[in-house]
Amino acid sequence: MQLTSSRISVDDLAEAQEACHARGWTDGLPVVPPTDEAVAACLEWAMLPPDHLIGIEPVRARSITAEKAAVNAVMAGCLPPHFPVVVTALTALLQPQFGLHGPTASTGGCALLLIVNGPIRHELAMDATFSVLGGADRSRAVIARAVRLVLANVLDVKPGGIDRSTLGHPGKLGYCIAEDEEATGWISLGDQRLGTAPAERGHVSSVTAVASMAPRQVMNEWTTDPTELCETLAAEIRASQLNYSIWPGNYVVVLPPQLRKHFDAAGWTKNDIAACVYERARVRRGDWASVGKGAIVKDRAEREHPALESPEDLLIVAAGGPAGGFAAVIPPWLGTRSHAATVAVGACVDCEVR
Amino acid sequence: MPAISVMTSAFIDAAELMARVQGVPDHPFTVIEHPIASADAAGLEARAETAVEQAVRVLVAH
Repeated sequence: MQLTSSRISVDDLAEAQEACHARGWTDGLPVVPPTDEAVAACLEWAMLPPDHLIGIEPVRARSITAEKAAVNAVMAGCLPPHFPVVVTALTALLQPQFGLHGPTASTGGCALLLIVNGPIRHELAMDATFSVLGGADRSRAVIARAVRLVLANVLDVKPGGIDRSTLGHPGKLGYCIAEDEEATGWISLGDQRLGTAPAERGHVSSVTAVASMAPRQVMNEWTTDPTELCETLAAEIRASQLNYSIWPGNYVVVLPPQLRKHFDAAGWTKNDIAACVYERARVRRGDWASVGKGAIVKDRAEREHPALESPEDLLIVAAGGPAGGFAAVIPPWLGTRSHAATVAVGACVDCEVR
Repeated sequence: MPAISVMTSAFIDAAELMARVQGVPDHPFTVIEHPIASADAAGLEARAETAVEQAVRVLVAH
């Protein structure tokens, strides 16, 4: 396999670390030296030739090749089995509807949330339970980091460079979750969005990418009524609409077992929840006056702003530890300027490994 | 049709970076005071005048 990246000769691991840090190729943490063997192993596992074009960032016409992705994946700590998920995540981020440049450059400070579905969660031992939005198992950690290093080292997405975030949020350090598909009877997010046929559901692995703000945690342990639970979620969405961005977009809701149990008992599906939240998650422009933004209400105080363009724009994920009536609302970055993208994980069957 | 980029002062280095990565490091642009969103009418008027003055200079020079 012929790799074309330039090589650096070093004597030992310590020198390799300093060589990478000195060139600004890290996120501050140690990296794994991307040796020829390690990079080739990732490419071979995914059956991708080094010059395979994963995609092009259209605003700056920067191409992301499999070789550059593999180099950064190795640096991030990926093993070969992680690499197909990294490639899938990058493919999702480069879909036209995602509009990668905006979320990575905006002062608005969002991060790139990756949601993994399907059998690959088990192959990579991804966890979707305790502290799902706070901790990370090895696979989720290195996959999210690999994407971050690709963006930094291939697309210059570094703070003060392309990344102009005023504040950013901790999700920029790594924002990858898996859905707890086995602990729910609901259709997985990936199958929902890919339109997987009933017989194939649960057998397709996928990555959904969302330009997302930080999680906003809500708690309601004092009801079993699904409509009241939806109202708690919608109230948090309305607060985000007024305080951050009023425009509609892909909100993500993470629901743990303790709350899912109430929806299940009432026979509610994800679609029922989405329809209920869709009706409630909306504000009037005049409500801006209540949060210090009266200057831009003008003569449109009665104009209604829904948080979701349609119920399908609410991305519901089953995840979280077994105890606690806590859910998370994850708002989108500036509404419809970026749409979530879901891509199935698959090897490039037509590619000849070189 | 001739066009000119207008940046606010907080984005000068971002504009320079974008020009560099697009392969036109000397691409000229105008600079107005940051921020715009909270400026009053007089502030917007002043920024517009600044932008026009600079734009004319850039367009005539190129």
